[in-house]
Amino acid sequence: MTAATTEVHATALYETALLDYLAAHDEPALLRGYDLGRAALADGVSLLEMLTMHSRALAAALQGTSDDRERQRIMSAQSAFLMEALSPFEMARRAFHDANTVLRRLNEVLDVQVRRIASELHNEAGQLLASVHFALAEAERDLPQKSAHLDHVRRILVEVEGRLRNLSHELRPSVLDDMGLPGALDFLAQAILSRWDLPVRVSIALEGDLPVSIENTIYRIAQEALTNVAKHASAHCAEIIVRESARTILCIVRDDGTGFDDTASLRKGRPGLGLTEIRERVAALGGTLHVGLNEKGGTDLTLQIPLDR
Amino acid sequence: MGIESAVDIVAARQQARALAAEAGFSTCDATLITTAVSEMTRNILEYASRGEVTISVVKKGAKSGVQIIAADQGPGIADVEQVMKDGYSSRKGMGIGLPGTKRLMDEFEIASTVGRGTTVTMKKWNP
Repeated sequence: MTAATTEVHATALYETALLDYLAAHDEPALLRGYDLGRAALADGVSLLEMLTMHSRALAAALQGTSDDRERQRIMSAQSAFLMEALSPFEMARRAFHDANTVLRRLNEVLDVQVRRIASELHNEAGQLLASVHFALAEAERDLPQKSAHLDHVRRILVEVEGRLRNLSHELRPSVLDDMGLPGALDFLAQAILSRWDLPVRVSIALEGDLPVSIENTIYRIAQEALTNVAKHASAHCAEIIVRESARTILCIVRDDGTGFDDTASLRKGRPGLGLTEIRERVAALGGTLHVGLNEKGGTDLTLQIPLDR
Repeated sequence: MGIESAVDIVAARQQARALAAEAGFSTCDATLITTAVSEMTRNILEYASRGEVTISVVKKGAKSGVQIIAADQGPGIADVEQVMKDGYSSRKGMGIGLPGTKRLMDEFEIASTVGRGTTVTMKKWNP
């Protein structure tokens, strides 16, 4: 059967079952409603499709009579059948809710681990490498004839240090641990100003500390977006706004540059803004991301993340 | 009441609905309790061929509730923890079956011995 004929078939089954229930008002008919709903859920039928199917079947039932009292009786009886058909969807909704809770907890555990690994890389590994530098300097004093060789080792060591630093920063910018999100964003704004000569205004109003995962995401997105603005948007200034309202964190990165919209930027394959990665990060936190033009003709990147306080 | 065929599922559902009303549950909650009975009786038929369901109104202080005990002498469950995970059953992880039923009720216990059978005891309280 094609998808369309399957749908027609399902609608017909549903209609027959509803009509049987309206005629008999009995438990076997309700069980059929339940079984239809259960099968529909397993087949990936959506709640909206279920409701469409129900209204069609109901319309057919109402068409079968012109008696007002009979129509009233049908209207008051149909909801019991609908509830049976939707009850499996209620189980699925509860499962979704539980899965989300588990996902959030898992994210928090991962955050703590990431933080620990980042700090190990930054502090412990950094100290060990520093001691290698000392050892090299000593070796150089004792073996001046091996100086060129040791210098080569030192260059590799510096390279390793750089890579570890980048890795640690990528995992969790230490500036977030040192200064918190407001300080880190100010620091980022300073860095953008001195590196790209682009002034960035930072405006934050929060009611308390945010979960590590949300802080990380906001910081990364601001960093990615501002770098992108500085490189490509020919902007004169930019702004980061972070607000908290109704258990939602709102973050806007705004510029007055040349502007581009979401789809166009994706089509042109505009470099820098790793939209896909950013979207994945946001989706993992149950949030949304929107890129669009603002009143000044520049771009607003708007991020919304739900928050449990 | 004995569960041996689809007719018995209907009877068990009917009784669950009546007792849920007696315990003062809303139509919505009565539907969910009936759903729990459907899932348990379906499991009995599917895995043990026959079994027994006992549904009763229970009291705890001022609260009324409905208790459902579903027992069978079927093959039993080797790893109870695993079957309580979503997606274990063939229903593509939609959160129905045993884990789905647990979410509809306030209390849920499952005892199973391989070769001896399974007993699920669950309660829902009003309010």
